[in-house]
Amino acid sequence: MSQIAKHTLRFFLFFLVQVLVLNQIELGMGIQIMIYPLFILFLPVEMGVFSLMLIAFALGLSIDALSNTFGLHTSSLLAVGYFRPLIYKLFAPRDGYDALLETNIFTLGTGWFLKTFGLLIIIHHFWFFMLEMFKLNEIVFVLQKTGLSLVVSILICILLQYLFLRKSNEI
Amino acid sequence: MRNFLAFIRRFRVFLLFALLQGIALTFYFTFLSFPRSQYLTSTSAISGTIFEMKHDLTKFLDLEENNTSLQKENLDLRSRTIENLFRLDNGLVKVDDTLHKVQYKYVPGEIINSTHTKRNNFFTISVGSNQGVKRNMGVFSSNGVVGVIHFAGPKYSIVKSCLTEKLNIAVMIEVSGEHGFLQWDGKDSRRGTLTGISNDSDIVKWSKVVTRGSAGIFPEGIAVGKVEKASVVEGMPLWNVTILFSENYRTVQRVYVVKNLLKEEQDNAESHIPVDPQL
Repeated sequence: MSQIAKHTLRFFLFFLVQVLVLNQIELGMGIQIMIYPLFILFLPVEMGVFSLMLIAFALGLSIDALSNTFGLHTSSLLAVGYFRPLIYKLFAPRDGYDALLETNIFTLGTGWFLKTFGLLIIIHHFWFFMLEMFKLNEIVFVLQKTGLSLVVSILICILLQYLFLRKSNEI
Repeated sequence: MRNFLAFIRRFRVFLLFALLQGIALTFYFTFLSFPRSQYLTSTSAISGTIFEMKHDLTKFLDLEENNTSLQKENLDLRSRTIENLFRLDNGLVKVDDTLHKVQYKYVPGEIINSTHTKRNNFFTISVGSNQGVKRNMGVFSSNGVVGVIHFAGPKYSIVKSCLTEKLNIAVMIEVSGEHGFLQWDGKDSRRGTLTGISNDSDIVKWSKVVTRGSAGIFPEGIAVGKVEKASVVEGMPLWNVTILFSENYRTVQRVYVVKNLLKEEQDNAESHIPVDPQL
């Protein structure tokens, strides 16, 4: 399957799963599962920051349109797109990234995935909940929501990769 | 000019980031306080259709609970006389059929999408301006108050539910008549708080809290919840009353939108209140 078709298909899958399944799940304690930053992580390594941000903007807007958040998801996903090249540079393997390989938990290892995706999703979740509450005196609640949602989101993202990605092969 | 272009080239990534963030955040903050367009909300035709399809699949999950509460409401209505009528005089003159005039009409609707975990939770309902729904109309269900219409599209509308930050429905404690505003702290979808109740009055635990009907958004006496506990607000002569909502916002499906036929007259009259009374 060509790269463009694959990523377009994933775009719609992440969008539908987030809106129709994950947005409806309520775990209590302020946990909200958001896995769509994983889509930004999967985009090709050599992709420029402009295209990353524009794609993030598009995905965020589509999710916002169906969850009545009016721009919250867009804003936080945009931050993920903006910070991805910086974080990729920070955690680059010794001999650089292989442009042909997709950046997932199998090609680059669990340690790399936890560091990179962990940092991206911390930015995303903290940005999201901070904007949602928008009050500094409720910072403890924001941190609680961020921390708990973070754990669940990362676990689901790891599970998804083990379920749907074949080792060293596409989809 | 050369320097300016060089500046733009140097910071082009950050400038695009700032521009897109600006768009997203402007949209977010303007829509929270004043909704203008139906694009990018769940009232648009595409998202409405998607949610209608989803709702067709999942509505059976809460069907039993909804049927039970509708049956309870029917029972209640059968044992009651019509209360939503507006008396035209004070009972001195008796002429057939002109003593009462209809003040409230109800539009039935169905919640097709809802959230409960966010700080501000909005419900999408399947009636819109085609059915006469407008902004700031009240929405309630057979168990109690649900929210206020935030934006009405042609076929679908968004309800700002009781689980939002600045809803401020005027409510009162039924027996004592003490009134305040309903608010939500964003943590527990079963409990809300009442503010503005003076602490020289006694609050009886488990007394019923109902709508006050003063703003013309809801008729008087629609259930909101029950008083669970009251604590003193530090440094102020006020109670902070925690109430247990009578409606379960996770499963509610069938709702009614309140159309107040005398709302315009009330607003008209209230617009004559002097803005800055010289006290």
